[in-house]
Amino acid sequence: MNMEQAFQTFLAESAELLQDMEDKLLGLENCEDATESVNSIFRAVHTIKGSAGLFGLDDIVAFTHVVESVLDDVRSGSFVLDEQLINLLLQCKDYIGKMVDSIEGESVLMTAEDLQLQQALTNTLSGYLNKVHSTSPATMLVGINETDDYQSVSVIESDITIANENWHISVYFGVDVLRSGMDPLSFLRYLATLGTIVHIETVTDGMPSPEDMDAESCYLGYEINFHSNATKNQIEDVFEFVRDDCQLKILPPYAKASEFIAIIESIQTDELKLGEILLRCGTLTQRELDDLLHLQTSVKQGGTHRLIGEIVVADGLASSEVVTAALHKQAQGKKAKEKQAQTVRVDAEKLDHLINLIGELVIAGAGVESEAHLTGIGSLKESAQTMTRLVEEVRESALHLRMVQIGETFNRFQRVVRDVSKELGKDIDLQINGAETELDKTVIEKISDPLMHLVRNSIDHGIESPALRAERHKPVTGNVTLNAYHESGTIVIEVSDDGGGLNKDKILQKARANGLVSPDTELSAHEIYQLIFEAGFSTADAVSNISGRGVGMDVVRRNIEALRGTVEIDSEYTVGTTIRIRLPLTLAIIDGFMMKVGDVFYVLPLDIVEECIELNACHSEGQEGRHYINLRGEVLPFIRLGDYFCKSQRKAKRENIVVIKYGNLKAGFVVDELMGEFQTVIKPLGPLFERVPGISGSTILGSGEVALILDAASLIHLVMQRDGKAMSVAAQQSALH
Amino acid sequence: MAKTIMIVDDSASLRQVVSIALKGAGYDVIEGCDGKDALSKLTGQKVSLIVSDVNMPNMDGITMVQEIKKLPAYKFTPIIMLTTESSDGKKAAGQAAGAKAWMVKPFKPEQLLMAVSKLVLP
Repeated sequence: MNMEQAFQTFLAESAELLQDMEDKLLGLENCEDATESVNSIFRAVHTIKGSAGLFGLDDIVAFTHVVESVLDDVRSGSFVLDEQLINLLLQCKDYIGKMVDSIEGESVLMTAEDLQLQQALTNTLSGYLNKVHSTSPATMLVGINETDDYQSVSVIESDITIANENWHISVYFGVDVLRSGMDPLSFLRYLATLGTIVHIETVTDGMPSPEDMDAESCYLGYEINFHSNATKNQIEDVFEFVRDDCQLKILPPYAKASEFIAIIESIQTDELKLGEILLRCGTLTQRELDDLLHLQTSVKQGGTHRLIGEIVVADGLASSEVVTAALHKQAQGKKAKEKQAQTVRVDAEKLDHLINLIGELVIAGAGVESEAHLTGIGSLKESAQTMTRLVEEVRESALHLRMVQIGETFNRFQRVVRDVSKELGKDIDLQINGAETELDKTVIEKISDPLMHLVRNSIDHGIESPALRAERHKPVTGNVTLNAYHESGTIVIEVSDDGGGLNKDKILQKARANGLVSPDTELSAHEIYQLIFEAGFSTADAVSNISGRGVGMDVVRRNIEALRGTVEIDSEYTVGTTIRIRLPLTLAIIDGFMMKVGDVFYVLPLDIVEECIELNACHSEGQEGRHYINLRGEVLPFIRLGDYFCKSQRKAKRENIVVIKYGNLKAGFVVDELMGEFQTVIKPLGPLFERVPGISGSTILGSGEVALILDAASLIHLVMQRDGKAMSVAAQQSALH
Repeated sequence: MAKTIMIVDDSASLRQVVSIALKGAGYDVIEGCDGKDALSKLTGQKVSLIVSDVNMPNMDGITMVQEIKKLPAYKFTPIIMLTTESSDGKKAAGQAAGAKAWMVKPFKPEQLLMAVSKLVLP
């Protein structure tokens, strides 16, 4: 572990904390009891400040300090979090994020504008603070031990100077020092790192008689003759942690005699004896001591003698305490077990590596099983099966490691909706459903940008202006809904709004004007909607800050397709629009369904396979050239995989149709042989084959052979395109019958 | 044998930096991410010093100190509190609970090392 890694942790942590802060701030706007939220917000800023200090990021420390002070006052109830303050804190959050980013990489640099912003934010925050504190609060307090003011030794006028070039330290530890967990010896050891302890005398006068002695109390004091070049502050700092718990006197070299008197007086011990101790320490000479004692007597007569209170030793700890401690320890054990359900931060790379290995394990396992099958030894087959089952479980749980709830990504949009709608003067609510739906982290990361675009689009183009909404007898507050759910092995994410909907005629008109569609082509509503995903398409009359430049929707589609997903649109003019993104659950390993055409193996994701039927004579009879069958009254277009991939010239004796369902589309693939379920580790295709339509990847079978993974989405698309017209004819026919 | 120091803070980066500094100086380090976690990790470990944050989720530092003081084995383990809160009220509560040393965050690793070595030399 090195500092660079720690710094990376800091960056990740800050991002997380800031996100949390934002969520909580947005949550505050419509929440009654804010205490817990305010606490977390405070903690976020507090932690960032603390960590930033460690890395010497003083700018961040300075800024977060002001934010923290304001939050502290909110916490103590000095003022309430109103919308204005929430806005301000959100800006602060953004700014802190920016500061963190600016140290992270070269891409974000702080500009003069940013610094102006910082100044403005700081000023506004200080304004809040000034309401509460009369003094200027935004002063930075940093560093330790600034607060400890040195207790000056009471000085009695005297002209005697002790001729000693060493420091004299007199320290008497309080009785409780051991109980506070401090070891007097450790301070003395540390003292020795600053200089040389010329002489040390232990003063044991505080010791009670053996029967009264408490082993947990400290009764000792020390007189030390110390040679060092350290400053008084440095020496005093040694005892920083016992400062309140001990009597400490530090006399510089060549101190005034009166200061020694103060020591002698303040220690409850035989004066003469202490004098002798000082003498033995070498601090005082005999003559100086005599002078001192003489001086002391005269001072006493002057009435300045001070008595130190008797130190009362708290006697023996009650035995009941031991009992409670034991009980407590038992309870601790239980708590520790509950505690196990904590999160562990793992490097994504390590996780990928693990999943990769499990992929290999799945392949190897399949190999073992098929080999075992060949041997015909029952017990071997059984153990191979057990192993396969376990591997399957391992695979399941490994994939789950990567699964993350989408809620966090969704929540990020609260802010977007809030900000953008304010900017546009629209009143919009964001509803989130299915936040607990889980999907692969890689997918979540990659989907977040396209989603952002879609949400912005909904706000900008979708939801009408309040005036228009009133005209259309809709509630003034618009609604944008994010929804996620699982559907047959895919995850569906919907962005819907109750806005104006898509204007089919306008889109078609525009598409024709742009030459995207030839003037004589007739398109279905669905096809028209898909047009908005073409490059360079926008129907918005005015280009706004937020959207309308016509770059974007095509990028959205491309991003989604890169994830092996699809995107489709449902819309009704003046009622609303729903954009539906369909994504595979995971990118690494799937449950597959294997088929064989000729001697080539193909795999489809098992979840999309609806049923398998035999393609018998009555289906195909008299329908040569038509690629659809009547499946229980439904038109089912199909494709002969053999023909499509130009494989088999000869027809197999029996042919089967694998019926798949993708979204609301159904199609059949004709294959020779059905091989059944198969755990498929997806291997990417080499660059040569990357762009072959209809194939999304490959996998290795237990025997070492390669199987191709079919891209259902593009194949269905192909079927629909090729057979679209025939199908519509067929649909008409079947409707007539 | 190296002395063991426990660092308790909800910030992973702070724990890392402090660990690096302490390990560099020759101590062994155990980390706890909050009061509860720290208590669960204390059982059976010989710890010479505990450095803890105050403001943490699940169990705050002051409650933790109170709990630690109830454990016979750790009753005398010195505790340094790290905090941004220099308010006297909190400080008094911490002192009452049994923590004697305070360090105001933000601090530099060297500052902490110095404070630590006053209490425990490696």
